[in-house]
Amino acid sequence: MPLLLGSYAPDMMSKWFVYGIHIGGWDLKASDPVQFHRGWPGVGFTHSLLYGVVIALLFWRVLGSKTWAISFLIGQWAHAITDTGDTVGTMLFFPWTVHIHFGAWAYAGQTGRVTDAAAYFSGPGAVWDLVWIVLGIFSWRVLTRSYFEEHVFTADAFWDRANRVVPIAVLLIAYRAAFFYGTCRWIAWSLWAHVVHHYPYDISWGGPHWVTAAHSPPLTWPQLLGIGAIIGAGVAIAFTSRLEFGKKSWAAIRSKT
Amino acid sequence: MPSKRQLTVAAGYVAAGAVYIAIGVWFTDFLLSFWVALAYLLVVVWLVPTGLRRIF
Repeated sequence: MPLLLGSYAPDMMSKWFVYGIHIGGWDLKASDPVQFHRGWPGVGFTHSLLYGVVIALLFWRVLGSKTWAISFLIGQWAHAITDTGDTVGTMLFFPWTVHIHFGAWAYAGQTGRVTDAAAYFSGPGAVWDLVWIVLGIFSWRVLTRSYFEEHVFTADAFWDRANRVVPIAVLLIAYRAAFFYGTCRWIAWSLWAHVVHHYPYDISWGGPHWVTAAHSPPLTWPQLLGIGAIIGAGVAIAFTSRLEFGKKSWAAIRSKT
Repeated sequence: MPSKRQLTVAAGYVAAGAVYIAIGVWFTDFLLSFWVALAYLLVVVWLVPTGLRRIF
């Protein structure tokens, strides 16, 4: 569950304002949806690695659960990092407001929910999703009841607490629901876009090019060097921590023998 | 290879998925929320079969 919440967290409270909603006589929509969604000022910080760390630490402190903290962090980082794949990208290293972007598929959130969906399911983004769906299908064993009971239920006290309120059949459905939703949604939007409405496919880099995509400015050489330095520092810290962890674990083992 | 029971369960989810997809293509708002999908699954895969088992 925390992994799922983490993966939804960046867009959870904001995407409706990007697309806009109509309530009574009011139209509520961001005047600059791209800036609001991925930029600063705006809520673009929700797509940063630091945001995931802060929320994860809150989970650890408030709920006292390292499992929830780490799982949420993995989910949120996965969303933030994969959103660098489009033409706007994310401020991964916020408060540094540079947008890391690879431009593989068109960002079209500013065009509204329907055109955005038509574009996403016509371009490389849809192919990217399909890769994960196929991976999920090949990993069907993780969706079985036995796997859930043996590995998932036992790994997080949340499931046991939830089981006091609802039967395990309901928990199993909740566990499977994310894969069900993602796969069915992919199929439904693809059918809607290409069978019902005949939007053309364009899986070339940066596509589909028939939509007006939003773009972040290209990264400059100093920015690329800065990104490289941050990643290098992160790898060095992780490697050093692993060495220290290894030393402490070995000392602990030796003290017991 | 999956067991017969696992294939039966999978077939149930595939059938539920087909209905979900049909509704979603017709009314795309249905596709917007994970929570709607969860509620749909709970009704179609748990509540309805449980109710039918109790009746019959």
